[in-house]
Amino acid sequence: MAYGSYKEMMFGTALNPVTTKNGLAIGAGLVIPEIVPHPRPGSEKTLKSLLREFERANEDALEKCIVVGFPSIVIENEHVFQMTDNADWGMEIALQTSDQINEYYNKYGLKAAYRATIADIRKPDMVDMRTSDRAQKVINAFEACGKHADILSIESMGGKEIFDYSIIRNDIEGLLFAVILKGLDMQWLWKQIVAIADKNKCIAGGDTNCSQANTAMFMAGGYLSKDVPQTLAALCRAMGVSSSLVAYECGASGPGKDCAYENPIIKAITGIPISTEGKTSACAHMDLCGNVMAAVCDLWANEAVEYHEMFGGTTPAVFAEILGYDAAAMNSSIQLGYQKEYQACLINSDRYRSPHGFILCPDNAWEIGKSIVENNQSYYSRAKAAALKCSELMRNDQQLRFSAYESVSLNTFTKEIEQLPDNEPDFIDKCLSKFTKVHGFNPASYGL
Amino acid sequence: MKQYGIALDLGTSGIRAQAVDLDEGNVISAVISTNHPLPGFNVTDHLHFALESGGENAQNIIIRAINQIIEGLAIPQSNIIKLAVCGNPIQLALFQGTEIRDLAFSGIEKLRSMNVEVQHRDAQILSASCFPNLQLPPNCKIIIPPAVCHEVGADAIALILQTEMHKHEETSIAIDFGTNAEIVLFHNGILKSASAAAGAAIEGKQIQCGMLAAPGAISDIEHTMDGYQLTVLNSDMLPEKGRIINFSYPGNDLESNTELLPIGITGTGTVAIMKEAMGNGLISLPDICTEDKMLHLGKDIFFTNNDVKEAGKAFGAIRAGYFTLCQDAGISVEDVQIIYMAGASGTYVDPVKAQKVGLIPPAVEKVVRAGNTSLAMARQLVIDETHLDEMTRMANDMRKNYFSLAASEIFKKVFILELSYWLEGMPMTIYRNLLKVYRFRDMPEIQGKLNIVNDFNKDSGITTYTNSITIRKNEDVEISGCTLCMKCQAGCPVNAISVRASPLSPAISVDGSLCLGITCKRCERACLENVFKLLDFFN
Amino acid sequence: MNAHDSNNIFSRYDLFIETNSNKVQRVSNDELSQKIAECVIEGNEDETERVVKEIIKKKKPMDIINSGLIPGMKEVSRLWEVGVYFLPQVILSSDAMIAGIRLCEEKLGMAIEKKARVVTHTAEGDIHDIGQVIVNALLNASGFEVINLGADVPTEKVIESCLIYKPIMVTGTALMTTTMTAFPKIAARLKQLNMNIPFVCGGGAVTEEYVTGFDLGIWGKEASQAPAMAEDALKGLSWDEMRKKWNG
Repeated sequence: MAYGSYKEMMFGTALNPVTTKNGLAIGAGLVIPEIVPHPRPGSEKTLKSLLREFERANEDALEKCIVVGFPSIVIENEHVFQMTDNADWGMEIALQTSDQINEYYNKYGLKAAYRATIADIRKPDMVDMRTSDRAQKVINAFEACGKHADILSIESMGGKEIFDYSIIRNDIEGLLFAVILKGLDMQWLWKQIVAIADKNKCIAGGDTNCSQANTAMFMAGGYLSKDVPQTLAALCRAMGVSSSLVAYECGASGPGKDCAYENPIIKAITGIPISTEGKTSACAHMDLCGNVMAAVCDLWANEAVEYHEMFGGTTPAVFAEILGYDAAAMNSSIQLGYQKEYQACLINSDRYRSPHGFILCPDNAWEIGKSIVENNQSYYSRAKAAALKCSELMRNDQQLRFSAYESVSLNTFTKEIEQLPDNEPDFIDKCLSKFTKVHGFNPASYGL
Repeated sequence: MKQYGIALDLGTSGIRAQAVDLDEGNVISAVISTNHPLPGFNVTDHLHFALESGGENAQNIIIRAINQIIEGLAIPQSNIIKLAVCGNPIQLALFQGTEIRDLAFSGIEKLRSMNVEVQHRDAQILSASCFPNLQLPPNCKIIIPPAVCHEVGADAIALILQTEMHKHEETSIAIDFGTNAEIVLFHNGILKSASAAAGAAIEGKQIQCGMLAAPGAISDIEHTMDGYQLTVLNSDMLPEKGRIINFSYPGNDLESNTELLPIGITGTGTVAIMKEAMGNGLISLPDICTEDKMLHLGKDIFFTNNDVKEAGKAFGAIRAGYFTLCQDAGISVEDVQIIYMAGASGTYVDPVKAQKVGLIPPAVEKVVRAGNTSLAMARQLVIDETHLDEMTRMANDMRKNYFSLAASEIFKKVFILELSYWLEGMPMTIYRNLLKVYRFRDMPEIQGKLNIVNDFNKDSGITTYTNSITIRKNEDVEISGCTLCMKCQAGCPVNAISVRASPLSPAISVDGSLCLGITCKRCERACLENVFKLLDFFN
Repeated sequence: MNAHDSNNIFSRYDLFIETNSNKVQRVSNDELSQKIAECVIEGNEDETERVVKEIIKKKKPMDIINSGLIPGMKEVSRLWEVGVYFLPQVILSSDAMIAGIRLCEEKLGMAIEKKARVVTHTAEGDIHDIGQVIVNALLNASGFEVINLGADVPTEKVIESCLIYKPIMVTGTALMTTTMTAFPKIAARLKQLNMNIPFVCGGGAVTEEYVTGFDLGIWGKEASQAPAMAEDALKGLSWDEMRKKWNG
């Protein structure tokens, strides 16, 4: 455990801060906004139109910083398919953005960095995750973007086929298996990404359990949804740490991806700086932990906003302003010495709003992190331990209330997990035979 | 039998005429035209027109206009025994129907390739019969003064002879504030003349709401406690105080007790607006600082950012012009002691305001308003044509000392400074620094202590008994092949075209007083059938 | 002055811009290159030549050009953009830079490669070339090779030069309406010879209506637009694409 106690964890500071090529320090004492613009459908028709779209979007965000006075910003562009499929596209856009950032630095002294998030165009149910052309394209895209981006990331898709199959069946075993598969894939993938980042002297940021835990979270929805119990989503979140951790074990340094809601747990374990999103990702999706997600963030992000005009400006400009002011408020609390109080407010807002928010509060996150560290024999054991600890924490806090459905679900899942095999090889064998019929599942993709 | 003479000032923006009682020697009547008979607003437009439609045609149109003006003078035609003209070389050549190509092209190469010889335009006395269709008795003498060279003509000679600047000791500058802005420097016994082609902004064209001096023209503006008070020319062409306005609010005028409704802005009005607005923070070069970026002077009368630019270029050309002449003569503009302001604009413009915008040298103290020296010269000539000898002597003198501003490296450098000052907002401090870098003399700050002398009693006729005539060709022309699509009318940027469907075929007329001339020709391009030819309307 | 406040909560870029952007910024950490750049920035042609002659003993000519002269000119362009410098100063700096480059080219024994060629001229029969003077200086400053034909240039000479030098763009200046009639003739001839390059025309009498009336013609409203137009031509925009962009 990097952190001795949850009490040491605070927004703006990470035990192992990272600094970009041009000197932007992340997790070094201040919260920095991270704006994520998304191109409109149709703009990806040609490289020219896409370049123009990102040029406008990224420029609008940079300009807003000058207009309102934000000292720094991180710009993330999540690749649309074409940007990864044609490595040149992603590279040109990275180069263009890098030039824009340099221009603003030279002109005004604005410190900024660019995160390129490669699209994982490998669809596990269609292609081999390791040997297919698409896999090669992903690596090529990393090579290309590594030349100009400051931070490299990806939302990897390992295990997605098993996850999708299992979540609609509320099959906890399958969900756990999906985590392991993701971890195996990430091991294969991230070793290469870290090597590329080292070669280019840029930063290997991190990955996310978005493809699994976030799907569960979306399906769990809000108070009016009944598709997936919130408690199951929380368990997925806890288990997901097991795979997300792999990136950092391969040498990634953070900042972790914004959509990795499990980042607080990751930070507790590794001390790396993290990007999180909460209320400010409302433009992309809702969540029930809008404030608590900021409690220990180092970058504060908006997930993705499609480029449009609003009265106050284009969406990247508008959201840059919103994120920037959030960061300024948090930084002000640090400056005035009220950060603990401020953090307490953020936590209090969502601690008992839903199980998801509950387990991501720093104290609970730390506990779950500890259970992972103490059971680190395998991806399986640590995921299993995380799930059990998560369940224990939820059941033991009387202030966290459940609907009957949730309560029953939680107990059932917990029992099922307790009854799973002890060790990983047994578990994997069990799953391999159980899930062979899952459409598109190819164990060779994961080296099994 | 009373004998009459006509004095004619052939200006680029219009024709000014006076009828003189040759026995008494006084002015009986005066007429001005509000526009020039040829389409276009500067000499090259007119030259261009003449080149394209033929010198004969151009001469015809001018003579037709002169006939209209002679009629307007209301004197018995059979009693007119002399007519004297004055003007720049181009206007005189067009009137005479003589060679104009050496005036249209200043480059020697081009002239050589066309086998055109540079003309000597000497003084002449011709008879009216030499001018086709001129409605004067055939034996009437037409007195034509000499020109100095292709850019400097009888009007510049008039400027010198009428002001008598060369007869005084002091170093002086004379400027004819017209489209061609002739500038003459007199220093150490030497006269140097040049033309600063200031563009029509000086006389009120090229300004969107601009007009020539005529009844209804805003000729001045003064900052008062309540706002800015307009001065408008009344039907007698006299300046009268008008309503008080506040530049920022269209239509929100303080009522005054006068009924005078302004219809446009003259060149002198332009000078006043620029000075007042710049001095009161409403213009921070090159922009107008009001909310809608315009200065409003009344219903549909306003001043735009583009007008500021045009005015600035015109003012800058003149200032660069006299600065260059001084620099070339080895003196500073500070050494100029007297400024003679001539031309219609020169007569009406407020010298204090003119100095503030750089139209007259910054340190000059004595201002002599010389009136319309061209017209005065013509009047002198028509009374006694032996003045031609004096003019010829002066022309020979000036020919030695003519200064071509266009070819001058000094002028180029200083005019670029002016362009920067007016169009980029370069501060005067940098302007003066750059003069130092170029190793030129300084352009000192404006002293503003002016002693104004009005010397235009010679010009008294211009303000009384004056009728104004708008010369406009309004006859319908039948265009065969016209399909009445009206695109020509729609395409004309100044609404000069009227299309009327007559029983047999469509008839179109072009208002020559509005037409922009050969350089525009949007009408021709708009015509779908390709039958619209501008020259058909001007012959 | 640092834009950041002491706590890095916000940055006062407005004050920063006021004090910093408006100051001349260093272009190089190398003292010699900085010295050369400063001569260009000050627009001092004589001093630039003197300094370059000295430094050329210690530094390679290409280095002097790429680390001193050109960055100096770029800083001048930046100062012009932010409204600290004005056109006459840009012209002086351009002249200084060109003088420096000339010395370096002498040493190298060859001309350096420029972005592209542009032929400029003032119309036949016209000697009013101030617009062209400005265009030449700005194009030079932006790294283009200017084939300056001067004033009163016969149309055949313009065509000849285009054939010989194969420019990406031609410019024409005319003050008088009588002389600008040469432009459509030039355009027609260029078209005939299959040289469909953009022909930018400007000057006192030249109007948008006139220039857009013939193929290849693009109206140059202000001489200061010339470098941006040349960049467009360099990017490969055709004359009618440029007309759409610049003439509305």
